[in-house]
Amino acid sequence: MKALLKLTNVTKRFGGLVAVDNVSFCIEEGEVVGLIGPNGAGKTTLLNVISGVYHPDSGTVEFNGKDITRMPPEEICRLGIARTYQIPQPFPDMTALNNVAVAVLYGKKRRNMSLADAELEASYFLEFVGLFSKRNTLARDLTLYELRMLELARALATSPRLLLIDEAMAGLNPAESLRAIKMIKTAQEHFGLTILWIEHVMKIIMNSAERIIVLHYGRKIAEGPPKMIAEDKKVIEAYLGERYA
Amino acid sequence: MVSLEFRRDRIVFRYGDQKYEWVIEPRYWRNPVIGALVLMVLPFLVYQYPNILTMITTANIYAAIAIMLSLQTIGTARLNFGPQFYVGIGGYTAALLNLYFGLNSALTLIVTILVSLLFAFLISPIVLIARGLYFALITLILPLIFLEITFVYGDIFRGESGLSGIAPLLNLGSVSWNYLAYYFLSLAMMLIYLLVVDKTMRSRYGLAMAAINDNEDVARTVGVNVNKYKILSYVIPSVGMGVAGWFIAHTFRTFAGITYLSLDFMVKILLMIIIGGRASIYGSIVGGYFVAFLEEGLRTLGPINYVVFPLTLILCVYMLPEGLWGLYHKRHYRDYYPKLRVRRR
Amino acid sequence: MLELLQSIIVYSFVFGSIYLLVSLGFSLICGILRIFHLGYGLSFVMAIYLTWMFMTELKLGVTLSIILMILVQFAVGMLIHWGIFQRYLEEEEKLLTLSLLAYLVFAHFANYRYPITAGVHLPTTIMYGALSIGVTTISYQMFIAAITAIFVTLVFVFIFLKTKLGLIMRAVSQNLRGSMLMGVNVGLTYWYAIILSTIPPIICTLTIAPFWSVDPFMGESMLSIAILIAILGGLGNLKGSIVASYAIGFIHSVVSFVYTSRFMGLVALIVTLIMLLVKPEGLCGAEKLW
Repeated sequence: MKALLKLTNVTKRFGGLVAVDNVSFCIEEGEVVGLIGPNGAGKTTLLNVISGVYHPDSGTVEFNGKDITRMPPEEICRLGIARTYQIPQPFPDMTALNNVAVAVLYGKKRRNMSLADAELEASYFLEFVGLFSKRNTLARDLTLYELRMLELARALATSPRLLLIDEAMAGLNPAESLRAIKMIKTAQEHFGLTILWIEHVMKIIMNSAERIIVLHYGRKIAEGPPKMIAEDKKVIEAYLGERYA
Repeated sequence: MVSLEFRRDRIVFRYGDQKYEWVIEPRYWRNPVIGALVLMVLPFLVYQYPNILTMITTANIYAAIAIMLSLQTIGTARLNFGPQFYVGIGGYTAALLNLYFGLNSALTLIVTILVSLLFAFLISPIVLIARGLYFALITLILPLIFLEITFVYGDIFRGESGLSGIAPLLNLGSVSWNYLAYYFLSLAMMLIYLLVVDKTMRSRYGLAMAAINDNEDVARTVGVNVNKYKILSYVIPSVGMGVAGWFIAHTFRTFAGITYLSLDFMVKILLMIIIGGRASIYGSIVGGYFVAFLEEGLRTLGPINYVVFPLTLILCVYMLPEGLWGLYHKRHYRDYYPKLRVRRR
Repeated sequence: MLELLQSIIVYSFVFGSIYLLVSLGFSLICGILRIFHLGYGLSFVMAIYLTWMFMTELKLGVTLSIILMILVQFAVGMLIHWGIFQRYLEEEEKLLTLSLLAYLVFAHFANYRYPITAGVHLPTTIMYGALSIGVTTISYQMFIAAITAIFVTLVFVFIFLKTKLGLIMRAVSQNLRGSMLMGVNVGLTYWYAIILSTIPPIICTLTIAPFWSVDPFMGESMLSIAILIAILGGLGNLKGSIVASYAIGFIHSVVSFVYTSRFMGLVALIVTLIMLLVKPEGLCGAEKLW
């Protein structure tokens, strides 16, 4: 079966620093893949390369058979890749409804959709994540959990096939984290998404992901099901140091 | 295919596979329509005083320029510090074509639009390349360089004294009829600009421009074609300002670089936006009228008015933080109130 | 051909040096306060017209007028900083328009009191006569203006590289938060920057008054030269300003001698625009003072 997302020897340098070093992997349709690694391993940079914010220095990124290495972010979004951000980046001076409406209108080429229809669809997405009551609040006045849900709603509104999630749990208390995980799971089932999920909280990612990729100093050091990763010597060494390996 | 439907509360226009709806909101349009009616009746009360008639004609022209500048500011996410550049281009194109080639006002309008389009497209890459500060600087210098050219090639442009004797827009016989006609034409221009800009800002394009204004990179990730919107919202208001320049040239029948390309004029336009309330559209109209009235009113003071005018404007900026429009219109929570940042990125 | 080259070199040197002073204050404010002082022309116009006013109205001597003018300029600079910059740091459109308005108020006032016909001139010629370098002849005053400009620039460079104040200013220009965390009194630094930035224009105008055409609106041309130099050299970068001043001086000279002096400004602008397309940070990099 053709892979949905395929990275081949992707390398990204910033001056002398190699952020992503020769990383290759595949993601099949319908998978939930976790991406973990110590701080500074290059996870967010990898996400930026996939979504088109950075262009890799070498290597290719293929989505659904199409080479998206040098495409601008707008086109990549329209092909079906959406992302959320580690620190939520809404449009601060716009209401939550408008935030999602932008994504509805521009995320994909829509037929027969006017602004009023877009607002209707946006409110559907807001209700899906549970933010319908806050639809007329300016995005700068929302709490952290609501901002993360807004990011999720905005990403879902672009009708993606692949969703890139960047540390959705950072800053949430345990109750909110549980709700967020449930929301992501529901979204994945409901919309048939493939998810590439960067996460720091081990418990969550070990439970949610089917397959995990581990990065360390930009290089992929392990890949496999959660149980195997938890016992992999290289992974333990990367996180805890040689003594514990 | 193209189709137009009239539903109970909206007009639906379909073109191919795109659908545009105009929801008719009587409450929103009530005040603007009343304002427009007042403005239409106004000249009949004051037509005995040709000074006042020219003053409100000028006010309409200023307001039209300010409205277009508001659209350009929000659309390009930057503040253009040289709006008078396109006014100058439009005015000089009209004036030169008329004086040296004898084209009448309709033909000069077409050529003005084309020339403004050309210049706007040539300069538009700056919107994409120049970061906020650099954009402000370059747009600041452009009209000054144009002004220098008009001085340097004084025999053609006559920068200091201005070209005069340009054919009027239309000639209805008596002078007072002319003035009335000019006023109504300027009012029509301003109202058309107002309608176009208002509908744009409250449509999906306004949504895209607001997104670009707030966070450009995220807007890109959500699929908004940022480059296209920035260039379009630079070019179209520039053409609008060029047409305003054409109007000035044909209405006042003189056009001088020193008046319309200098820093004085730039400050006037920017102040219309600031005094009128931060880049709001109706506020620009109020700002335009205020500046025009102030200018005319101070003229009675004699040459000292050049000093008092900036001073008054400084006072206004200090004492009216929300601008004049803010006195009337309490901002709804939901409205989009952009932060005009010059030092962006 | 050789004479042409000689003239170009001599005039590039003279005007490049003068432009040093023109751009120094602007780059300083741009680099440290990160604001465009669109009212920068104010310093130039005030230097001439205040001195003239003190000389003719208050009948003070030349030296006393100059000293008084310097004090008044310091006060006005501080007033602008307190009233405009500090108040409207967040609302930049107001900040820029207000500083421009401040310049316009004074320029129009000077025009009202002393129009072009009033024959304003400052007796600041230090040496009369002309100097011949090869085939070109420049007045001694031009030469002295250039040397003074270089000297003042060297003093400024010394201040910025070797003194504690300069170190603090460089730190503030590179990382505001970091400096504040280190205990730098940022407000005081800003005051010093404002005061320092009014000095080059004053010296510049005083030395070039004898041979430069003085009119109430000269601030505008000075401002556009300063802006072009700032863009070309890198916003707020002193080293860039020095290099760019001579570059622009060279461009002006070449255009004047090879073609016609009417196109000086236009060619400089085009070169700057090309620079902006090719290397947006300018010749020496932006966002840092040195």
